[in-house]
Amino acid sequence: MRLGAAAKSWRAVVVLGLTVMFCAGSLVGDDHWWPFSPWRMFSTSQAATGSVISTGIEVQTANAPGTWVPAPLTPENTGLNRAEIEGRIPQITADPQRLGTLARSHAELRPGAPEWTALRVVRRQIVVVDRKPTGEVRTSVLAQWEAR
Amino acid sequence: MTRLGAWLFTPMPLARVAVLRLLVFAFVVVDVLGLHTSGWYHGWADPVWYEPLVMGKALHLPAATVLLVQTLKWGCVAAALAAMTGRAPRLLGWTVAVGWVWYQYVAFSYGKVDHDRADFVVALALLPTVGLAHLSDRRRSEAAGFALRAIQLAAVATYFLSAWAKIRFGGWDWVNSATMVRAVVRRGTPVAQWLLEVPWTLHAFQWVLFAAELTAPVIFLLTERWRRRVVAGWFVFHAMTYAAITIAFWPHLVMMLAFLPLERGAAWLRGRWARQRPTRAGQERQEVRA
Repeated sequence: MRLGAAAKSWRAVVVLGLTVMFCAGSLVGDDHWWPFSPWRMFSTSQAATGSVISTGIEVQTANAPGTWVPAPLTPENTGLNRAEIEGRIPQITADPQRLGTLARSHAELRPGAPEWTALRVVRRQIVVVDRKPTGEVRTSVLAQWEAR
Repeated sequence: MTRLGAWLFTPMPLARVAVLRLLVFAFVVVDVLGLHTSGWYHGWADPVWYEPLVMGKALHLPAATVLLVQTLKWGCVAAALAAMTGRAPRLLGWTVAVGWVWYQYVAFSYGKVDHDRADFVVALALLPTVGLAHLSDRRRSEAAGFALRAIQLAAVATYFLSAWAKIRFGGWDWVNSATMVRAVVRRGTPVAQWLLEVPWTLHAFQWVLFAAELTAPVIFLLTERWRRRVVAGWFVFHAMTYAAITIAFWPHLVMMLAFLPLERGAAWLRGRWARQRPTRAGQERQEVRA
């Protein structure tokens, strides 16, 4: 079953267009170009000696005020995932009140769970020397929010 | 030019497209319901976290709401199930394409873009162009050949372009960096922990992976037998990655099936089914007699 000249031409143009867009995205584009964004999974270089950063949240619940406990930073729990929070650290430190929206989303997504009354973003730095984790972990609090 | 055209439009069995469509639409259902659900949860995220991508700015796409994510989720499932019947392949196929792309957009416009799902857009957009294709239609068609070739090209391009991204963002030194160590530290499974104890393994793996990605387009120059071996090799690589860091590029794995003679697998399955049914009926008759 053969295709006519016109049917072939527009298909060839589509493939050419897709090729140009995917290549342009990889050459000069960024994530905002999706679906033509660069294929950059695991593309950054990590120094053989340095630290691997892992960000998480800790919360206080209505049941146990004053006690910080780690909470899963997952979409099921907060509507957002870890990478989405990691990418917004500057905005969060500039305006920690934003963290309150996570507690609100949590209350809507998990109506049965104890309410979050305070929330803080914690950065863990796992020290790596010569491609091997040394076991040393440095922890710091980046931003904090409390319900009023 | 004519040779390139002949290659792009090599006639392929319509049944192969029919089987691939079934797999693609079945995948959409599984993906939307279970595999990639972060877009759904964005319905509950505050709009303050919404960060429109270029596509969203051009099309004036709004921030997610619960109503929007529910509509997209169940709309995708309904359209994909309807498309699996093979009827109205263009209308239903492109409805699935629009729904799935929008759903991914909702997932990716909150600060994190997944880098493994874009090639699937090519499959969703081009599979409908073949028109009607029946599962048992062994006739070869240029339209089918084109769709399959375009999907193969997109799937292989992801390997090459991800090697390119490593050079662009990681530098030539990427192969000597500790990127894999970082991945295993952050999300390594118990299976992968020994890799951290023997650091040269992950280092060597980076060299092998980079070389394989950069030379991936060679697959189009191989004989059919070797082409299938290479595809099998990539499947092994993806299985290993999943075992080590529980990351799998699911939509891409479906795309890679475009290299395989899927219609033969379908015919084999149907043959088994047809052979089994009479025997089962026969057994029942025997049971009744006894």
